[in-house]
Amino acid sequence: MKKRTMFVQVAFYLPDIVFLYMLYLSYKKNIPLNDFVFLVGLIVCAVIKIFLHFSGFYYFFVRRVHNLSKNIQNLKQGKFVLPDIEFFGGGYLSDIHNEIVDLGKHLLKMTNSQKDEIDKYREVYNNIIYSSNSYFLVVNAQYEVLFVNKTFCSEFEFSQQALSGKKIKEVFLGQNEVLWNSIESVKKSGSEIILQKITLFANCRSRVFDIKISRVVVQGESQIVMVMENITDRIRKEYQISLINQITESIQRDEEIDRILFSILTAVTSGSGLGFNRAMLFTYNEELGEISGKMAVGPDSFEEAIQIWGAVQNENVDMVTRVSSYKVTSGIRGGRFYSDVVSSRFPVSSGNILVKCMTELHPKHVYDSWNDPEVDAEFRKFIDVREFVAVPLVAGNKALGVIVADNRFNNTPISRENIELLSIFAMQAAFSMESFTHLSSLKEQMEKIKSRQSAIVESEKMAAVGRIAAHIAHEIRNPLATMGLYAKRILQTIAKGQKNIDSIKHGADVIKLEVERLEKILSNVMDFTRLDTYIKEYHSINDVAEDTYNLLKNLFQERKITADIHLAEDLPLVKSDFNQLKQVMLNLIQNAMDASGENGLVQIETGLKDSKVYFAVKDTGKGISPENIPKLFEPFFTTKTNGVGLGLAVCKKIITDHGGEILARNKEYGGAEFIVEFPVT
Amino acid sequence: MTKILVVEDEQYQRELYALELKDEGYDVDQAANGKDAVELVKTNKYDLVILDIRMPEMDGIEALGKILSRDKKIPIIIYTAYSNYKSNFMTWTADAYVTKSSNLDELKNKIKEVLENRSKSK
Repeated sequence: MKKRTMFVQVAFYLPDIVFLYMLYLSYKKNIPLNDFVFLVGLIVCAVIKIFLHFSGFYYFFVRRVHNLSKNIQNLKQGKFVLPDIEFFGGGYLSDIHNEIVDLGKHLLKMTNSQKDEIDKYREVYNNIIYSSNSYFLVVNAQYEVLFVNKTFCSEFEFSQQALSGKKIKEVFLGQNEVLWNSIESVKKSGSEIILQKITLFANCRSRVFDIKISRVVVQGESQIVMVMENITDRIRKEYQISLINQITESIQRDEEIDRILFSILTAVTSGSGLGFNRAMLFTYNEELGEISGKMAVGPDSFEEAIQIWGAVQNENVDMVTRVSSYKVTSGIRGGRFYSDVVSSRFPVSSGNILVKCMTELHPKHVYDSWNDPEVDAEFRKFIDVREFVAVPLVAGNKALGVIVADNRFNNTPISRENIELLSIFAMQAAFSMESFTHLSSLKEQMEKIKSRQSAIVESEKMAAVGRIAAHIAHEIRNPLATMGLYAKRILQTIAKGQKNIDSIKHGADVIKLEVERLEKILSNVMDFTRLDTYIKEYHSINDVAEDTYNLLKNLFQERKITADIHLAEDLPLVKSDFNQLKQVMLNLIQNAMDASGENGLVQIETGLKDSKVYFAVKDTGKGISPENIPKLFEPFFTTKTNGVGLGLAVCKKIITDHGGEILARNKEYGGAEFIVEFPVT
Repeated sequence: MTKILVVEDEQYQRELYALELKDEGYDVDQAANGKDAVELVKTNKYDLVILDIRMPEMDGIEALGKILSRDKKIPIIIYTAYSNYKSNFMTWTADAYVTKSSNLDELKNKIKEVLENRSKSK
């Protein structure tokens, strides 16, 4: 460049030199100035000089400007490193040029340092995001994955490359309507959304997150950023605690044992991948010497698993109530898995893994069922999974059964924590099974005691009535005896012909007095046994018969008397006072029992005959002597030494008041029968 | 003569029994309640006691015990309107248990029976 510049500079002044030389020549040689050639020579020189001047001007000035503008263009385009053109000469253009070059250097320095800083920060942020415990996921406007951080990848065991560019709906399987809708909404509105307790299922693993979804706009394009907190552990623990509470409550509420066991198994599987995929309950049948499947919870297939877990997710209910609705709404109970388990039987003699678990009273964790010597071929085929755990249900010192759990579908390894948790639930199950059997037998006992008590109360009532009746009999017998004696006395006196008027009068007075006494007693008795207030409703006499029999059941047993009961069906109802009818039946049956005696038989029969509803009580006793038959229902008639004689009279009154009839007769082949008939209204 | 003590609270009955038994040829004393009966037994020797159960002050069962403790050989017939005490263990210690009725024959026969048995065993 320098050589060229020198040459150009020289060339520029050349005409000047020629002109001066010519002037010198003219001066020296005294060439007359009006010499035409000389003039022409001068003009030519002048023209050349002007030409050179202007072309020089053009060449340097315009070019310099052109360079300047080119440099400015460079600067605009961000090319801060400018070609180093040396302007020859000075001039303010040159200054401008230098300034522009300086500016370029300055800008370059600035951007370099800015870039360094940006790079530095970017690296810091990247590190933060990449290795943060939070999960980052960024998708573009087409929902393709742009970025995932390390935590996310390692949790779900993806590689970054595997995820890059994938559609988010391919990453998270199952139904995630809430999530998709929120992403849509954030994309449109730009305002961020926070979701809580969302279960996401990816790469055969499911976890629960709190998710913050926000939008950033980068170079005109929307990107959705999802920051997720893994709350799986916390949720799991909350869930387990509430399930244990729920199960304890249902035990206290004394629900059916099957329901309790089912909720335990459901808790173990937990329906959203927090626990095991499948759980099975086997019980030990001591009599048959075998272990048989009682219950199972779990999907039949992988597809079903996802479907259920997604469906449960969508119900948007809290975990605890999910268990109860889950087992009610899901069709799992009828599934193949359930029926396979329930129909399985393993004899104790086979010594299979379940038996071992029960005898050793210790959980058995099988890592590889195909190669574990403790697992026999039959069970291996049955369970059809590599890893499983069997936990015994221990109550007292023996095992009631076994719970077996596995992760057949998502193949999550079974951790010690899982096994510990399973043991807790197994304890619950064993405890509830024990309690239930105890409770049931307790309940049975209580029922027995209650019915005995009411029988005792009733029979005591009857005994009281008996005592009162005995007293009344005594009250009546005395005056009767006196009356009879004195009447006889009077007759004797007359017969003997004795005319002892005083004695006769005395006798008659006594009789009169005793009659009055008797009348008073009778009216007392009738007041006492007031039967006017009946409560009449429509009843089935079968109900009366059953009620009465239940009262006397123990008595029948004690006295070794057989009861033969035939109650006809579909009998018309009778308008009656239930308790009064019961009293009649009680009386008749007790009489029959007295008549039949030990090892005898009492028949109780109801039926419909000649449009009359009847009930009959028959005994196998001696029968009724014919002369007594008409007197049977009279008050105070009794053939018993310790009887009262009021019973049948009262019965008759009750039946007559009901518009019915009571009659007694001897049976053909021995014994007597008492029949009560009611007309059908 | 055979001495009989009739213990009965009902006046008309008691008097009639006494009368009828006297006609039978017995010597009859009367007591209106258990207490009087026990007193009489202390001071007199009876061949037979006819004892009612329901009486004021001291009932027949108690009197029975007291009389027998004095003289355990004395024959006693319980004569009562109660029919349900027959199987009461207290009355087993009596010689007979007769339920009252308007017919005294049963009682009279029983008296004869008991006296005969007693004289036989003597």
